[in-house]
Amino acid sequence: MNRQPPVLQVEGLTKHFPVSGHKVVHAVDDVSFSVSRGKTLGLVGESGCGKSSCARTIIRIYEPTAGRILLDGEEISTLNQKQLLPYRKKMQMIFQDPYASLNARMTVHDIIAEPLRAHRVCSSRQEENEMVSDMLARVGLNKEHANRYAHEFSGGQRQRVGIARALILKPELVICDEPISALDVSIQAQVVNMLRHFQEELALTYLFIAHDLSMVRYVSDDVGVMYLGQLVEKCEADEIYRHPLHPYTVGLLSSIPVPNPRMAKAREKSGLEGDLPSPIDPPAGCRFHTRCPYATEQCRQEMPQLKEASSGHFVACHRIFNR
Amino acid sequence: MTEHTKWERVSGNEEEAERIYRKSRSFLGDVWFRFRHKPTALCGFILVLILLVFCLAGPFFTPYTYSEQNNKMASIPPLLTVYPGPEEGSYLYITQGMKLIEVDNEGNLVRQLKKKKDDNAQKRTSFVWDDDTLVYLDYSRLPNTVLDKEGNRIEVSQKKWNHTYLLGTDQLGRDILTRLMYGTRISLMVAFIAALVNMVIGIAYGGISGYLGGRTDTIMMRIVDIISTIPLTLYVILIKMCLDDGLLSIIIALSSVYWVDMARVVRGEMLSLKNQEFVLAARTIGSSTKTILLNHLIPNAMGPILVTVTMLIPSAIFMEAFMSFIGIGIAPPMASLGTMCNDATETLRTNPYQLFLPALVICVIMFAFNFVGDGLRDALDPKLKK
Ligand SMILES: Nc1ncnc2c1ncn2[C@@H]1O[C@H](COP(=O)(O)OP(=O)(O)OP(=O)(O)O)[C@@H](O)[C@H]1O
Ligand code: SF4
Ligand SMILES: [Mg+2]
Repeated sequence: MNRQPPVLQVEGLTKHFPVSGHKVVHAVDDVSFSVSRGKTLGLVGESGCGKSSCARTIIRIYEPTAGRILLDGEEISTLNQKQLLPYRKKMQMIFQDPYASLNARMTVHDIIAEPLRAHRVCSSRQEENEMVSDMLARVGLNKEHANRYAHEFSGGQRQRVGIARALILKPELVICDEPISALDVSIQAQVVNMLRHFQEELALTYLFIAHDLSMVRYVSDDVGVMYLGQLVEKCEADEIYRHPLHPYTVGLLSSIPVPNPRMAKAREKSGLEGDLPSPIDPPAGCRFHTRCPYATEQCRQEMPQLKEASSGHFVACHRIFNR
Repeated sequence: MTEHTKWERVSGNEEEAERIYRKSRSFLGDVWFRFRHKPTALCGFILVLILLVFCLAGPFFTPYTYSEQNNKMASIPPLLTVYPGPEEGSYLYITQGMKLIEVDNEGNLVRQLKKKKDDNAQKRTSFVWDDDTLVYLDYSRLPNTVLDKEGNRIEVSQKKWNHTYLLGTDQLGRDILTRLMYGTRISLMVAFIAALVNMVIGIAYGGISGYLGGRTDTIMMRIVDIISTIPLTLYVILIKMCLDDGLLSIIIALSSVYWVDMARVVRGEMLSLKNQEFVLAARTIGSSTKTILLNHLIPNAMGPILVTVTMLIPSAIFMEAFMSFIGIGIAPPMASLGTMCNDATETLRTNPYQLFLPALVICVIMFAFNFVGDGLRDALDPKLKK
């Protein structure tokens, strides 16, 4: 049934930032994955592991250092910004910070209408007004809100404006860069529901980024775990909760607050210790070896490759394959 | 997938819980609100308004022009020292040129008396009052004074405010108040135009440099560095020397110099703004560079830009005054505050008011704009939102 190419396919994506002193930040290193139509790939990892860099490179705000990005099977990593314009209609992004992602000097109407104007979708002012108010209604805001400034809204309402802006062009791929991390817990549920609702309605494909696994579970079909710029584990969402393989994933899972104290105790042992090493000088071998309880000499020397451990379950860890 | 059912759709009531909680106020309204509540800023703003009325409407209410000379009435101060004249209610004022001027009770200068004879031996000069009366100016000892009918020196003098020339005249007999109005007008005009031109050049240059970044930015900023290492004054003088005298050249000279600061400010703002998420969002949307600059970056950098402009106005005024003062500014008979100061230095000892008045106006202008700039800076700082 799946003859058509995945909406997003990323192969060997690498993003290095040059910093002073001829050093480079290895923000994203050789990351590959694909997301097929209507599906959601959750990307998780600690703060600073390169999730945002990965997202921004895919959407081509950052120039990829290496690797290929295919949107609907078409290579977009080598296009210049002008050639990219038609593809921009197909992919949009929802940002993490609902305060910083909306221009404080623009009204909500202008913010939501910006994509329409950039791609000259509407032929008349009237049409634009209609589309904007329609979109406002879909994200649960009133028509009267259109002439207000973003700073007059609460975080949740601002994020809805951000969602409206991302969806008004009816894109195929939406990259959600921690769309709910900055929101109040009570509002997170609403926003996630809304995103799910739109996914069904518009057959959207999501790349959903989060820094912990708790929320990703409910929205994702597949989950990828990133550590220090690399993808260390990738499989179906339920599988990763049932059978986490990589020690880092196990650590991440244990850091989710658990209501059951007995379970919490059992998990305590496998919790993550230590800090993320600097991406300027990532550790040799397995990048996780500085914090891994099972690290061996081999781990310090040799970089593990992402390999299939069981059907559809990929992991990059020597321990799994040496057993 | 079954897990999804754990999330249910929220009812409308709950959504209402997060309604708008801040009173709706547009950005400009917000700025004005904060500006208004700062006394110095408001004070400066009112001063600027007064200055504008003074220099724009003022000339319609004075009977004099800035260039009209009246040698008979040269260097008459605003506060006159007068002696009683031969008739009741008439007074005599002794000019610095040893002439007599009749002053009436209100302080109006009526006429200059005609000189009849200078008696060197007795050190007195006679003036014709009317056909059969003479009045004598005695300069045998200081202070010079007028003789009464019996020929005695009148030692008691009175002070009267000059009603004809409210702020006195300069050494060519031109009304200082009128010249101040025109001078302020020219100073403000030069400053406003220079500020506007600087703003446009500075925003364009700094905006492009900051937004493009990288090597372009480095090169453009090195050029700015080079321009700014040449002392500003020297630079303005050089430009002025190459161009003709006059208003236009002074505007060109000022406009081509101060943009350096503006370019730096704008570039700094661009650098910090261009990586903010709303700008990234505009790029993911596919907005053109023009849209990003005009709709996103520049409006958000407007605060510091406005502050820099208001701070630039007083320095442009000062620079114009300074150039006029050292004689390379506005050409006579046009009045500018600087040329007025310059003219006054020649007679500084005898007529200090001629220097004091234009200098005072320069001070007031500088104060007013600095206060406004200061107030704007605070008002535009979104971190101070109340
Ligand atoms: N423009 C940049 N220049 C240099 N280094 C950068 C740049 N952007 C990101 N980095 C570095 O790349 C690494 C990954 O950053 P990134 O923002 O992608 O992490 P993240 O996983 O999104 O974290 P968070 O959860 O905090 O958003 C960090 O070490 C960061 O310092
Ligand atoms: S490869 Fe070694 S260090 Fe890396 S996660 Fe596996 S066991 Fe730990
Ligand atoms: Mg991030």
